Amino acid sequence: MGKVIVVTSGKGGVGKTTTTANLGTGLAAMGQKVCLVDTDIGLRNLDVVMGLENRIVYDLLHVVEGQCRLRQALIKDKQYGDRLVLLPAPQTREKDAVTPEQMKQLVKELKEDFDFVLLDCPAGIEHGFKNAIAGADSAIVVTTPEIAAVRDADRIIGLLEAEGLYEPQLIINRVRPGMVRRGDMMSISDIDDILAIEILGVVPDDPDIIVSTNKGEPVVTNSRSRSGQAYRNIVRRLLGEDVPLMDLNERKVMHWFKRLLSGEAH
Amino acid sequence: MNTQLCAIKGSRDGLVVTINDSTNFTAVLDALEQQLIASQSFFQGSTAKLLVKQGTLSLSQLDEIERLIARYGMVLDRRPPQWSVTPSVSQQNSEERGSVEDSTLLVKRTIRSGQRLHYDGNVVVMGDVNPGAEIVCTGDILVLGSLRGVAHAGAEGKTDAIVFAFRLEPTQLRIAHLISRAPDEKLPQPEGPEVARVVGDRIQLSVYNH
Repeated sequence: MGKVIVVTSGKGGVGKTTTTANLGTGLAAMGQKVCLVDTDIGLRNLDVVMGLENRIVYDLLHVVEGQCRLRQALIKDKQYGDRLVLLPAPQTREKDAVTPEQMKQLVKELKEDFDFVLLDCPAGIEHGFKNAIAGADSAIVVTTPEIAAVRDADRIIGLLEAEGLYEPQLIINRVRPGMVRRGDMMSISDIDDILAIEILGVVPDDPDIIVSTNKGEPVVTNSRSRSGQAYRNIVRRLLGEDVPLMDLNERKVMHWFKRLLSGEAH
Repeated sequence: MNTQLCAIKGSRDGLVVTINDSTNFTAVLDALEQQLIASQSFFQGSTAKLLVKQGTLSLSQLDEIERLIARYGMVLDRRPPQWSVTPSVSQQNSEERGSVEDSTLLVKRTIRSGQRLHYDGNVVVMGDVNPGAEIVCTGDILVLGSLRGVAHAGAEGKTDAIVFAFRLEPTQLRIAHLISRAPDEKLPQPEGPEVARVVGDRIQLSVYNH
């Protein structure tokens, strides 16, 4: 039986889809069997970030409505094939085309076959959110160091608890260490002070993400990227390893130099 | 008859009785009873939590629910559920306030953004009250943690109500009919507990020492 994790945030644009894509790819790279589900009906993105947009024939709604078999709708990843598949969202329908009950049933089937099922949740707290969390066993809340994003994350944590998803884990995305140092950005401890939930990882703001998103290749596979490293660390934590939080203040050059010394770089 | 009004569901946390809208309380009771009849002995011996999604319940209504589910062999877990109320509903409710003035609700968790707690009596929160959260009660509010949301003590005109917090940094503070808000510019905050009370016709904050 696999683990079903919903990736959610409340606020839009904080990096839910990027996080889902990277964690999924990272888990597959670590030998896990992973299914990514895009629950953002009408505004799908995950297929684009994964670079699989042109392979979509069937989507989540076709499966739920019985127009195709589940297996037919699962799109194999370019790099990891069977180990990493995507169930895309329909683009031309509305969010209420699917019910939480249907989602539960779908997720139940998926978790028999996969080690991890990651649900990419739409922004907001309405129908789409309720669908996305319906079948989940646990939740990852993504936020950025902005007051609005943290406020929404707090709201989401409350809603998750009300639905029986206790102890969600937090990913703080797009941290700019320089700004934090100067006091121009909320620090990790400022955020922790308010949300007070377990921090699963901290991802630095990184132009590599934009490049990799445009290319449809998650940054987690880029061994030179700092955000990729952050995602790899999160993946290892998800698999139960105890990895300390990355020191974001470390300079890139220093980082390189250290890796050179440890013989990690090539 | 109406299954929308309430539901009995098992969660990993035990049984939860969810009331979606408590405005029409008799209808809620009816609907709940029907569900209990339908499920008969299935839930017997279990402890149920109560979750009110919209509207609010008075203590006597809570008692009524407790008696009802007790008839079907269930125990109501009366530890603080999550009350989510709209102000208009809570005002209606305030009319039936009675001898509960001195009762105190103990909440052992953090109240998060979007969550509202309304209570006839005093409220003690063992946790934080985050920005975007709201506590309204007729008595005192004590927060054993940080109060960063909105707190309204003495909501029915009790001007000697107080608001206490280990860190008192509310978005807005109301006592009885008085309202004060946080200053726009950040001021240095005292590290210790503070208490807010009405002095004259203003809400005044002071460092807590008894």
